[in-house]
Amino acid sequence: MLESNAQRGPYWEQTTPEDERIAHQIEHGREEHLLLDPRPPAELNELALATMKKTGPAFWIAVLGLGSLSLIFALTWVTQIFNGVGITGLNRSVMWGPYIANLIYFIGIGHAGTFISAALRMMRMDFRRPIARAAETITLFGLAMAGLFPIIHVGRVWKLFYMIPIPNQRDLWPNFRSALFWDMSAITTYIIGSTLFMYIALIPDLAMARDHTDGWRRKLYGALSLGWRGTTGQWHKLEVVSNILSFVIIPVMFSVHTGVSWNLSMSVQPGWHSAIFGPFFVVGALYSGVAAVIIVMIFVRKVLKFGYFIRDEHFNAMGIFLFILMIAWVYFYFAEWITNWYGNLPPEVAIQEMLTGPLAPLFYLMLFANIIVPLVLVFKRVRTNLPAMLVICIFIQIGMYLERVIIVAGFLSRNELPFNWVDYVPQLPETIITIGTLATLGLLYLIWTRIVPIIPLWEVYEGQAMQSTRRVGRAVVSTRTDAH
Amino acid sequence: MADLMLLGLFDNVETTADVIDDVRDLGVSDAQLEVLSNIPYPAKFFGLKTPGLMFWPFVFGGAILGALVAYFITFITPDLYPIHVGGQELTPVPPTAIMFFEFISLFSMLGAFIGFLLQNRFPILVREMYDELITDGYIGVQVQIEESVAEQVIGVFEKHHAHKINRELASEFKPQGIRHLFFWGAVAGGGLVVMLVPLLVSYEKIPLPWINKMNQTVVVGYQEGPRLAAPEEAVPFQGPRLIAGQPGTEPLEATESSIARGAALFQLHCAICHGETAQGDGPLSGYYTADHGFPVGVPALAGKGYPGSYIFEVVTNGRVGQTDDGTEFIKMPSLVENVSPGDTWDIINYINSLDAE
Repeated sequence: MLESNAQRGPYWEQTTPEDERIAHQIEHGREEHLLLDPRPPAELNELALATMKKTGPAFWIAVLGLGSLSLIFALTWVTQIFNGVGITGLNRSVMWGPYIANLIYFIGIGHAGTFISAALRMMRMDFRRPIARAAETITLFGLAMAGLFPIIHVGRVWKLFYMIPIPNQRDLWPNFRSALFWDMSAITTYIIGSTLFMYIALIPDLAMARDHTDGWRRKLYGALSLGWRGTTGQWHKLEVVSNILSFVIIPVMFSVHTGVSWNLSMSVQPGWHSAIFGPFFVVGALYSGVAAVIIVMIFVRKVLKFGYFIRDEHFNAMGIFLFILMIAWVYFYFAEWITNWYGNLPPEVAIQEMLTGPLAPLFYLMLFANIIVPLVLVFKRVRTNLPAMLVICIFIQIGMYLERVIIVAGFLSRNELPFNWVDYVPQLPETIITIGTLATLGLLYLIWTRIVPIIPLWEVYEGQAMQSTRRVGRAVVSTRTDAH
Repeated sequence: MADLMLLGLFDNVETTADVIDDVRDLGVSDAQLEVLSNIPYPAKFFGLKTPGLMFWPFVFGGAILGALVAYFITFITPDLYPIHVGGQELTPVPPTAIMFFEFISLFSMLGAFIGFLLQNRFPILVREMYDELITDGYIGVQVQIEESVAEQVIGVFEKHHAHKINRELASEFKPQGIRHLFFWGAVAGGGLVVMLVPLLVSYEKIPLPWINKMNQTVVVGYQEGPRLAAPEEAVPFQGPRLIAGQPGTEPLEATESSIARGAALFQLHCAICHGETAQGDGPLSGYYTADHGFPVGVPALAGKGYPGSYIFEVVTNGRVGQTDDGTEFIKMPSLVENVSPGDTWDIINYINSLDAE
């Protein structure tokens, strides 16, 4: 009885049925779907490891370029530490400028990573499998960069420990009633949680790398994989701990960008003091974050040549996701705008007049990049066209960055007291630091792809082993084995 | 005494499950069996019992620890140094809720992670039965048996076309025991030492020579801001204001209470440069150089007959000086943001009372 359905032979060896129509459909399914196209893990391990070990001239040129930008950034920062924040264009009314906008931006792009991993994992969405780690890596390094900006912004970095809950020399403790402290504890929680979550899913792949490398890599992976053998007990605990972390980290993810938005909305600055700011920021973060993940997916597919793993179906799924987030973002922006407009309070009117006045070019560019450009995502042909996706996602990055700059530096330039109105013009230091941190993010990412397998191989193998096809009448449809 | 370790590699779940059935028929118990794979196959695929685990104590323990940390931050620290701000209580509900949420989340995740490490006894510091083909997709069946049944188990493996069979003496594998606890103990100890150093630096127990140009930093310019003159029609609405072009009017009477207030305000706003006893020897005075001039002490003012309105103007607007080469620098910052006109007159009364002595 047991024999009837039993499949002998490895899951990656599939027999082709004799019926030509069926065989054709199966062949088509293999081309379309990663999970229906299993190959021997030995071959795929080799593919992943070859990319990790490859450091050609292009790699070194990229490292050199990004590295020198990062070095210039570091030197600029040192200059600012010694000379004070006064060398930037910040002034008394616009005391938060690009540094805080960058903080929001980098936390924003870090949002999608954990969302894709944790929420889609909970919902058993199979398209997350090959992209989860590339996305989590953005979370990790995006948060690392974001974490730099409060430090850059405060100027006197040597007073940083005032934020740690220890008494300072005057017996003062950090004030937990400050929105800054809420934000700091949320970011700390999120970065630690994301790192643990990523590391746990990395252990089996590190064990794979340990088994197939030698020299320093073998020692490194051997230490990091903690002696993983893949016993049923180990796998079971890995699954359970990942589920626990997923459940905890999703609300934490929401709290992080809400915390960031509260830094702004807890003040009585017109344009900021709004209850919708928390969810509005979360949606905006997911929007820019998913766009950032798509950019990275294009990088992984085209530059790292992982076309086998990241296919059109993944771009299609992420494109739909992006489109939904765009609609949500527009809705929140409109709700915020119409409340201010209808209220007709002078300070808020002043802000709206400025957006359609002196800041109009930035404002309309932001709306164009965030709303008009992504509209083409309704077409599947666009969603699976990589150059088009790259352009759209870069537009969204620009649009969402402008949105943050407008909210932070723009709104601050119009406050309740007209004699405090002032315009902000970016100066060289903050420009260099902004570009430099982007380069540092790129550099870290590039080096990371040479150290860890950027594709979660075991998750792909799991999906392939659990996915199969079934004949219904004359059609072949895919079926998924729910092992739990 | 079980003294042999066998590891057979198979390429699919079905065969592996058959092998396990056959091996069990030879009298091998589940405790002697272990299945290794590169995919999270549930144990039930092999007809084995799902391995037990225990995460809740770790997660709840972490959550309780997180709640204690949040309690410390929200209830204890405001009590250690109470500061009343924004009309809030010392422990208001909304920020307290945020703290409890964040720290309970953080520590329950840490607890789950520690539970994962401890239950798996990671890191494994001894050699274990393994084959590198497992991460290439082969499913390994590890059996620990007595020498006498070894040939029969190998027979089962061969009957099912094992891809590879590894055979080793069980005595070559030392048990892991509590080695991992010693490892984590050492890590924790090292971590504490590493954390101690920045703490000692923070509290200046290890003094670091820190060079910065704080006394000539551009940050002073940052404070100046875009403030324009008050509009023509502006009306002072909180006591007398300094209006451009008009003298500081409405001096306060030099009553005892005014002088006492002035003394307190002087300590707060002036003493850092001018010194606690107004001798021009405040903590910051050491940073001044001859070409920028030193803070003035009261003896220097005494008997000069400066009118109160002059001091009022200096306190309100500050003083800009010029070096020999003509560059302007801030000799004394404007205190208009810090002290109200009434406060300023209190300070003037205090200075005059020093004069009189």
